[in-house]
Amino acid sequence: MTHSPAEPDAGTEQDLRRRLSEAEETLRAIRDGEVDALVVRGPNHDEVSALGGENSYRAFMQAMDIGAAAVDGSGKLIYANGALVDLLGAQAPDLQNADLATHLGPDGAAALRRLLEHSGPDRRSEQLSLESPSGERHVEVTAAPLELVFGRGYALTFTDVTERVEAAAASESERIGRAVMASSNDAVVVCDDKGVITHANAKVRQFCISGCVGKHFEVAFELSFPVSSGLIGAREVVELALSGSNVRAVEANLAGGDRARHVVVSASPLRSSGGTIGGCIVALADVTEQRATDRKQKLLMGELTHRVKNTLTLVLSIANRTAAGSNDLSDFRPAFARRLEALAATHNLLAEDFSGGLTLEDIAVAELAPYIAVGSERLTIEGMQYRLTSDTAVALGLVFHELVTNAVKYGALSNERGRVSLTAANDGEALAIEWREENGPPVQPPERHGFGQTLILRGLGQSGAQSTTLDYLPDGVVCRMYIPNSSVLTD
Amino acid sequence: MTDEKPLKLKLYVAGETPKSVAAIRNLQQMCEENMKGAYEIEVIDLRQQPQLAREHNIVAIPTLVRSLPVPVQKIIGDLSDKEKVLVHLHVDEQ
Repeated sequence: MTHSPAEPDAGTEQDLRRRLSEAEETLRAIRDGEVDALVVRGPNHDEVSALGGENSYRAFMQAMDIGAAAVDGSGKLIYANGALVDLLGAQAPDLQNADLATHLGPDGAAALRRLLEHSGPDRRSEQLSLESPSGERHVEVTAAPLELVFGRGYALTFTDVTERVEAAAASESERIGRAVMASSNDAVVVCDDKGVITHANAKVRQFCISGCVGKHFEVAFELSFPVSSGLIGAREVVELALSGSNVRAVEANLAGGDRARHVVVSASPLRSSGGTIGGCIVALADVTEQRATDRKQKLLMGELTHRVKNTLTLVLSIANRTAAGSNDLSDFRPAFARRLEALAATHNLLAEDFSGGLTLEDIAVAELAPYIAVGSERLTIEGMQYRLTSDTAVALGLVFHELVTNAVKYGALSNERGRVSLTAANDGEALAIEWREENGPPVQPPERHGFGQTLILRGLGQSGAQSTTLDYLPDGVVCRMYIPNSSVLTD
Repeated sequence: MTDEKPLKLKLYVAGETPKSVAAIRNLQQMCEENMKGAYEIEVIDLRQQPQLAREHNIVAIPTLVRSLPVPVQKIIGDLSDKEKVLVHLHVDEQ
């Protein structure tokens, strides 16, 4: 630091001395490092030239694409490069004249304060978000101690990490999205804004074995909707979602694949962070089995109601007719009990396979077993594989019961030699079943026409087939029963 | 320094070179502490207006010029030696 005496007076010598003194002082100041720039006179204009490589350093700082600044110990801005000026959306003079913190917003200012207050010998970083002309930016600010000419300060760098933060957020969102898709029990696909499938989870394979990514949704999934849904086709589902609407749980039939399926379709728009719709998500839940179960359940409920009503009617009828044929209560009680047991035997079998029906053999075995061992030489069962509807099975069970109890009391099963054969044959229109007794005691037609006989003759009804016949032949009783094919189930 | 004779100071700097920045800080601090209300400072950035260097024949930067009261005084450097600066600014008033 130095000074020079005065501007020129009139005297030339004094002026020369003053200039010489100034020149000497300037040289000394340059030599002693007290100046860092010089004014260089040119023929047309003067230029300022920095000393000590200042120009190249500054040019380097200006060329940096990350924001850089130097602040003094109190946080006051000393220098900011062009990248920081652009980042903060401020004019350079504004930035120079104001506190840097005022350009960072309240949160940014607090972050900067923390950085400077806790700054030690090492560099420290904080991430903050700034409102810039181009929208919100995520910036990582790093502070490092800086020795300045007039004391201690800080070098700050402002690195725009918006893309990195957004990429990380997008990556995280995608990871979460994929995890959600993978864990879904439904088939889930993501479509772009043209309705082309871009992602699909593993569950989709059950519908599209050949793969659906890259196909238009309506091509990959041939959906048809019931008229009541108001939807026409798969394309409309995607269009609704892309227009911002949600499609919630609409039932549809899905053609293609290994078999037709019943599905529930839901679709939602897929919005980007800006709120614009960039695609949609469609979920398809396969409810084929569930609907089949529902239908079966409904059928079974109807069947059960039907059986209970029929059974109550039958029990009432059995009670009345048994009472009519009985002399007193002691007569009535065992006869009634046996008939109810016969009814129960068939019902027990039916309950085991509620909807499949019973075979003739099932019914015969259930009713005859208490009286004669199935498989014994005295009983022949042939051609009894036909399966009957439940009503017919119940009626036939009661008929078999009456036949076998009569045989045990009076017929072929009342002695040691008698035999019973039970055969069935279908002529295409009706199933003919023959009960034939042999080697029993001589047959005497009954004197009285009891309930048992009525039940045998009328138990199966007519139903378009022939009536049951019951012949008391001398060799043994022969009963021929006919069941219309409408009561015979086809496997 | 009195109210009748305010100091008129011109500080010639070159943008934000460290010594320019230091000189501005030191001068402002010094004036505020020692001559409150009795001075005028004009900072001239010769990077922006190099032609203004000729008025006071400025060669080295930073340079402080006391243009009032006369006679004109020049002090070259970052003004970090405050005592010396104060002496030179006041010396001709005595």
